[in-house]
Amino acid sequence: MSNKLSSSVPTDREVVLGILNNSEDALNRLYTGYFPMILQFIMNNNGDEDDAKDVYQEAIIVLYNKIRSGDFELSSKLKTYIYSVCRRIWLKKLSQQSKKTTNLSELDDVVAVEVDLEQHEEKELQFEKMGSALINLGEPCKTIIQDFYIHNLSMQDICEKFGYTNTDNVKTQKYKCLQRLKKLFFQS
Amino acid sequence: MIEDYLKGNLTAAEAEAFEQLRTNDPVIDHKVVAHKAFLETLTQYGKVMSLKQQMDQAHAQMDVAAMAEKMRPHPSFIVNMWRNNKSAVAIAASFLLLTIFAVISIDHNSRQNGTYEVMRREISNIKNNQNKLVRTLNSTGPAPKTSRGPSGLAKFGGSGFALTANGYLCTNYHVIRDADSIYVQKNGESFKVKVAYFDAQYDIAILKIIDNSFTPLSNLPYKLKKNGVGMGEDVYTLGFPKDDAVLGEGYVSSKTGHNGDTTQYQVSIPINPGNSGGAVFDNFGNIVGMITAKENQVEGAAFAVKSKHILEALNAIPSDSLGKKVAFSKKNPLQGLNRTKQIDKIQDFVYMIKVYN
Repeated sequence: MSNKLSSSVPTDREVVLGILNNSEDALNRLYTGYFPMILQFIMNNNGDEDDAKDVYQEAIIVLYNKIRSGDFELSSKLKTYIYSVCRRIWLKKLSQQSKKTTNLSELDDVVAVEVDLEQHEEKELQFEKMGSALINLGEPCKTIIQDFYIHNLSMQDICEKFGYTNTDNVKTQKYKCLQRLKKLFFQS
Repeated sequence: MIEDYLKGNLTAAEAEAFEQLRTNDPVIDHKVVAHKAFLETLTQYGKVMSLKQQMDQAHAQMDVAAMAEKMRPHPSFIVNMWRNNKSAVAIAASFLLLTIFAVISIDHNSRQNGTYEVMRREISNIKNNQNKLVRTLNSTGPAPKTSRGPSGLAKFGGSGFALTANGYLCTNYHVIRDADSIYVQKNGESFKVKVAYFDAQYDIAILKIIDNSFTPLSNLPYKLKKNGVGMGEDVYTLGFPKDDAVLGEGYVSSKTGHNGDTTQYQVSIPINPGNSGGAVFDNFGNIVGMITAKENQVEGAAFAVKSKHILEALNAIPSDSLGKKVAFSKKNPLQGLNRTKQIDKIQDFVYMIKVYN
């Protein structure tokens, strides 16, 4: 099993560079490269495939953010890092569900990931808040905001998309939507 | 406005003016900062969303179900253990193999010595067997009536029985072997004897009393049986494991002796050092054998050389030196008597052998 993957698992350097460059291919290879390891870990510790997916994706996000913020040092192996993060996340989840944890093997090296995870959790919180705020925004505001801020469409594009008469209208609309969003965000 | 500033849409002059405004008015400054933060959160949200999308795509590429099947904790605990600890198991296994080889080679080397030792021990066992029945005399016993008895202690003791009325006795060869002088004793009286004949192979020795104080015995009440006896025949012996005669009873337990020796019977009589040379009687007044040895490692196995060999030994002595031919009466005076009465008659004809060297 591991033989097959080792040829396609990217080196740590490749991954870091790829993420910094927004390379989709790098992300793909990273993702598929280490997922089996995590899948096995989760399944051997009272979890199923969906749990594995959730935990893994969270870990990848943590890694992603870390790399993009320029914090990531290549002192520890990516594999170890991902594993450690997943372990922490899963442990937390388990204790929250108060399921009994089987003895997690301490033999595997675990990198100290506490700090990263704390940051991640704050970000998670923000993320959730933003997500729900956006949803509560409703249409057309949600799409306008997303298009402008996330997809970086120009006023012109949005104007055409939504059939506004001119860009000023769009601007005003957008401004109103943003205010509402802020309100929702800071309320929750 | 703030957004334009943040996005860098203002001209340089406008930007500068705006910054001035910020430093002057904290409220505005705060707004700028807040807005910036908010936008960051928003964009972050977007990024994460797109990342998630990408991940889901990648996820879809994998055959997760198949992987999950492979990795599912095996219902058997052992298989799980095996999966998790393959390397440890490998190390343990190779260590075990190494140890086994080491032990086998050591064992192989020492086993040969072991066998060799065992053989030696067995032989010395036989030696011991034979010597043991020759009793080492510890006490002087009652002073012999005639002062012919030598001073000092006898070295070995055994048993013997009369073959003729004129002083020929039979005992084991091993009893009198290496003897400087031999005496026989009955009822406290000692008589010096010489070895008239011996056969080391059958372990028979025939002694002749050469003491002047000896008076001939009456007719022998028993005779030597020519043929063999069968298993189960009740037998008894009179011997001298101590200074007085001791009766031992048993039956013929095998037609052969130690290791299938056809010259001996195996009898179940309890035997002790000093019994060597004692006659083995059946219930009909026949001597069927002579006690020779006992099997050390086995319970209740004693050996008696068959009477026919005693007869052969007797016939080997030239008849003129034997004097009167051995008179075994045709009648059997012991037959029909009970054990006690038989022993009563026999007692006159059995002797303790004392060996000095």
